[in-house]
Order: sequence, then C-alpha cells, then structure tokens
Amino acid sequence: MPLVEITPANQKQEDGPPPSFEPGRGLPLASPADKEQAFANSKKPEVLERQHLPVRFHVEDHAVADRPRRFLEAFAAILKHSNYRLALEHYIRVSAKCSRCAVECQVYMATGEKRDIPCYRSELLLSVYRRHFTISGVLRARLFGDPGLTDEKIQEMADAFYNCTACRRCTMECPVGIDHGLITHLGRYILSEIGIVPRALAVSVREQLAGATGNTSAVPVPALLDSLEFLSDDMQEQTGVEIPFPIDQKGAEYLFLAPVSDFLMEADTLMGIAAVFRATGDPWTIGTGYFDAINYGLFYNDQILEKVVRKIQAEAERLEVRKLLIGECGHASRTAKYFYATFCGGEHALPAVNILEYTHAAWKSGRLKLKPGTIAERVTYHDPCNLARPGWIVEQPRELLRAFCSDFVEMTPNGREGICCGGGGGTVSIDEVKPFRMLVGGRAKADQIRATGAKYCVAPCANCKKQLRELVEAHGIDCQIVGLHDLLYKAIQFEDQPRSPRGELD
Amino acid sequence: MESWIEFGRGSLFRFAFVLMILGLGRLVVLTVAGLWEVWRDMPDRRLPWADIRRNTAGWLFPVGRLWRRRPVYSTVSFAFHVGLLVVPLTLAAHLLLWKRTVGAAWPAIPQPLANWLTVLAIATGAALFVMRAAHAPTRALSRAQDMLWPLLLIVPFSTGFLCSNAVLSPPAYRTLMLLHIYAGDLILLLIPFTKIAHCVLAPFSQLVGAMSWKLAPGAGDRVAATLGYAEQPTWIAGSRVAGSGARKEA
Repeated sequence: MPLVEITPANQKQEDGPPPSFEPGRGLPLASPADKEQAFANSKKPEVLERQHLPVRFHVEDHAVADRPRRFLEAFAAILKHSNYRLALEHYIRVSAKCSRCAVECQVYMATGEKRDIPCYRSELLLSVYRRHFTISGVLRARLFGDPGLTDEKIQEMADAFYNCTACRRCTMECPVGIDHGLITHLGRYILSEIGIVPRALAVSVREQLAGATGNTSAVPVPALLDSLEFLSDDMQEQTGVEIPFPIDQKGAEYLFLAPVSDFLMEADTLMGIAAVFRATGDPWTIGTGYFDAINYGLFYNDQILEKVVRKIQAEAERLEVRKLLIGECGHASRTAKYFYATFCGGEHALPAVNILEYTHAAWKSGRLKLKPGTIAERVTYHDPCNLARPGWIVEQPRELLRAFCSDFVEMTPNGREGICCGGGGGTVSIDEVKPFRMLVGGRAKADQIRATGAKYCVAPCANCKKQLRELVEAHGIDCQIVGLHDLLYKAIQFEDQPRSPRGELD
Repeated sequence: MESWIEFGRGSLFRFAFVLMILGLGRLVVLTVAGLWEVWRDMPDRRLPWADIRRNTAGWLFPVGRLWRRRPVYSTVSFAFHVGLLVVPLTLAAHLLLWKRTVGAAWPAIPQPLANWLTVLAIATGAALFVMRAAHAPTRALSRAQDMLWPLLLIVPFSTGFLCSNAVLSPPAYRTLMLLHIYAGDLILLLIPFTKIAHCVLAPFSQLVGAMSWKLAPGAGDRVAATLGYAEQPTWIAGSRVAGSGARKEA
C-alpha cells in the first residue's frame, strides 16, 4: 500500500546530527485522499445492516435493539460500583473547552477535525452523564424536551473512543486537569458491556481467560519451552556462554512475564533479557502456569483487567516469587505496577518492576558491563506512553543506550511529552484499522522518526514495535524498529565470556 | 434609578455574594467528600504526590507553561485572569463595598495601576472572545456559556472604567453604574452554576484524576452481576446478543 513518498528529509544526514529533531514544522494535514482511505469502512453491507454500527473495527454480533437503554443501564451499574463518578462530576463542572488539548493529539494533528479534539471526544460521554445522571440535566431535559441518548450518539462514541489511543498526552496540557484517557477508558468499558468491543481484542481475551492455552496468542506451553530452548542454544553458540531461561523455579526473586507474542516473535529481546540475568546472577523464572503480561482489560473493561491481574497473582503465589518482572511492554508494565497492588493486597502486594528499570539498576551498580560504542549506527528512542507519561521510565533507557551507542539522537518532543506511536490503546491489534493507524494515528510519529535519520529506533513495547514496524514500511522510512535488549545483547560483556555476542538483527 | 443602584450594591450584592460563597462551598464539600469516599476504600493509597503537587501549582501559576502550546491564547487568558482577580478585590472604590459586606478591608492598589489592569482585562476579554470565535476547533467546541462569559465579564470592567475616568452626564453615569453593578451581581450569582466554578475546583483536578485511576476491586464482577451477566462475562462469545442478561440487582 503506497502511503507516502520518501522525501529528501528521509535521507540520512551526512553532516552529523543536531542534538534533537523536531517533526516537520507545520506538518500538513493528511490529504483528503489519505483521510478517505484512513476512514474507509471495509465491512460488508449485510454486517453494517445487522449491527447498525458504522465503525471501522469488526465487532461480534450483539443485541442492537434498545441499545441506548442498555448503554444507560451499563453506565448506571458502573457508576454504582466504581469510582468514576468522582471524575465525571468534577469534569462536567470545570471543563473550559479551551481546545488547548487539540494541539497535543496526534490524530487531530493529521485530521484537523472537530471530532478528533480530545475535549470534544470526552464531551460525548460527559454530556450523557450530565443529561441522564445529574438532577440539573434531567430538569433541563424536561424543560427543553431533550430526548436523551440516541443510537447515533452511541455509534459516534464507539468510533471516537477507538480513534483515541488513550495516550494521555492531552491531559498534560489541560489547564483544568481533565484526564481524557480516563474518559476514553470509561467510554470503552461501558460500550464493552453492551457488546461493542473490537473483535480482535475480544478474541484474544477469550483465549486468555477461557481458552485452553490461557494466553492472548494461544501459545501452548510445549511451544514456549521449545522456543526458549532454541534461543538458549543460539545464545551459547553466539557467546560461548550458557544462558538459560529458568522455568518454574520456586522461590525465585523475579517472576518474568512478557507480552506473549515476544516468545514467538521477539527472540532478540528475550535473548537480551536472559543475557542480562546471566550477567547479574539474580534468580528469575518464567512460569509455565502463566507467562503472558498482556492485559487488554486496561484498554476496555475493568472486569477483564482484574481477572488477568489475578492470573498473575495465582502464578506468583504458586512459584512463591518476591517480585514481578515485566518485559518490554508499556501497557503490561503499567497494569502490573499500578493495578496489581489495587487488586492483590494493596501496599503489601508484590512490587512490579519493568525490565528497563532492572537492567538500568544492574548497569548502574556495576553488575552489568556494557561495551561502549558497540552500536555505531544512529539510534533513536521512542517513549512508550504507558512507561513515559507518568515519568516512570524516561531517563533509564537513555542512559543505557548512551552507554553502548555512539550516535544516539532524540526525537522532539520526547520523554513525558513523547508522541504516541499511533497504535496504543489496543488499536495496533486491530488489523482492519491499519490504514487509519498508518495515515492518521501514526503520521506524526513517522515524521519524527524520519527526521532523525536513525538506523535503529528503539521501542521497548510490543505494541509500539508492531505499529512502528508497519509505519516505517508504509512510509518508506529506512529505519529498523528494535527492542532495547535487542541492541543491548550485543554490548554485554560477561566475565567468563570467550567471545562477544554476534548475530545480526533480523 | 438611585434606589435600584442602592439595591444592586446593597441587598442584591449581599445575596449574590452569599449565594456564590455557599454555592462554591457546596462544590468544594462535595468534591472533598467524593475524594474521601474513594480514599476510604482504596487498597493501595500510594499516589504520585510529587506530580500532583507540581501540576496543581503549575496550572495555578502557569507562567512557565504558557509558551508551550497555543502561546498567544494562553498568555491572553492568563492576563485576563490577573485582571479579573485583582481589580474587583483591590480597587479602592470596591473596598468600601467589601467592608460593608464582609466587614473587612485590605489595602487598595493605586488607581493608575487599577486603570491599567482594567484596560488589560477588557482588551484580553475581548481578545479571548475573538480568538474563540475565530479559531475553528475552539469555536466548534464552544457552548453558549463559553462564548458569553468573556463578553459578560467585560461589562462590569468597561462600565466601571467609564464611570471612573470619563466625563459623563449624571443620567449616563447612573445608567452605566446600574449596568456595572447588576452585571457584577449576575456574575457572582452564576459562578457556582457554570464553568467558572473552576476557580475553586481546579486545584482538586490533579488529585481527582490520580484517584480515579484507583479502580475499585471487584467492581467489574459487581457491575456484571447488576446487569444480569454474572454467568456471561464479556469475553464469552455471544454473551451480549439479544436475550442475554436479566437486568437484575446483585
């Protein structure tokens, strides 16, 4: 699919890089043709007719009749049992509609349309709350004859809340502090309770919570073990050092959970992680009872969020570990760090650590040696929103990269203000919205990557990696998307190592 | 007309002022009660306090943040707020009113400074209206109150400025003063019921956002049970087709 032409700006700069790179000034809006392609609906007419839902993502059949009433019932039940009313009450009172958030949104940057302003999107749900769940709203409706929630508005919300990646960049610039990511999360939660959820996400969660394999990619344990054994052999061949993947080690310090697709598709990332543990000697383990860090509940349903967290809890208790260690994945790390304690024992719950934190601490303490200048090609770093937005993991990966990369450059903006890859909030798993992700959601990020002229873009998140790989291919950018541990693996120095790790990145 | 003026700055002003205080007080109490309710049941009470403090203070005194996004609009808005807060509270002529109403007074700002701040408020208020109307995304988002507030707020400033500085005939003066007083009273009356309530609620926003992400354990199961889907969770195929769910109380 030819999406954009390679421009001169894409060519690597030979004069050496400036300290940072801004996305093209005044990045033009997507062309009408691109927008048409991005928002095209590929559904069959009979499906549209049956589901009455002209959104671009596929949805399983659900009850269509009386949808507004069912939406309001779900909304009421969620308000009754959860904490969302606090935010809704506050936001309907303070929302100033200044549209400052618009300039933050990568979707609005590409479309320039009202519907893609975060505040407009949030107002879709806030207006339902104001109309149906506040006294003034009910009175005003009586006075002015407002019919209330309509099916058309539900359709608009279904579209809007899945155009948003819940990256929460807009929240940082809202003067009155509205968290639009929270509203997107709540909107999706209500929609899921009436059956409106992208089929791609629903199918993965079904396998994770009710399937035979118990994980989102349906990876059976024998396949996992085969894969890890193969990687171990590969590493021994490359380094001359035995680097195991410990399995079901009771009493280990760390229970390692990766986005399960990594076990099949991110061999270099896994090898880098295993090599770090080989260097530090800390006891870690992968559990065959449960090894998937992915939690799509964060994207659309609190019940699922809690169920998946409790699967992790069960495995941690079975193996009697002391900490959770999450691989290179933004949403999985955020879920474990911020929600494990909520659901599994409060402040006394097991702490959750992201692998970047672990590796950084090991390097800082001198237990991990990295060979400076191992990577000579230009490297840039993409901040996964779930890691960087709260200011949790920003400097650690940069310090690591600078330790073994001789030409590290930044995108601008970066860190806490970094621009979303365009595939966040689970949208990267929805194949049918790929044109949207390429031409609209990922447009600003593609511009940022192109401007760096980097050979490698490090993206320590399974979702970001998939989106960015598709993005650089679609936009014709000569840049390889890798995990941090993919590169770090090449730079590790083992004390008993006869030779350096080799092997080209795929 | 004199009696109307006296009513406006006497009984009506006291009524509007008390209503504003009670209305804003109610909103603060409701917000604090909502926060307490969540806090009470939170299993994990760790919050990003440093972020909450930094962002709350940063948006209350946003000087360092203005230039980051939409700098002109943001700076104009900030200047408008300065005029709005300083002039009504510290103008010498208003201090008599404050003393009469709340029984206390404080030093007044010099009249020339008050004049400049008044001009600033009028100019920035008008500019905010124009920018809101001219900036397509902002115009598209705007409700009636968003468009009307800057205009309403300009009224007491412009009429007050004319009364203080222009040579006016007595009838013109009285008309402008009447407008000045009643516009001021109307503003006080509307504050608790409109977005201007952010004057007391905005300091809670960061805390509200952070605490709202502290989900309630077991809430998902209870929601499903309330909807009659206890045995048909969302991840089961066909759980939300017609006929499912019994809409019963848990």
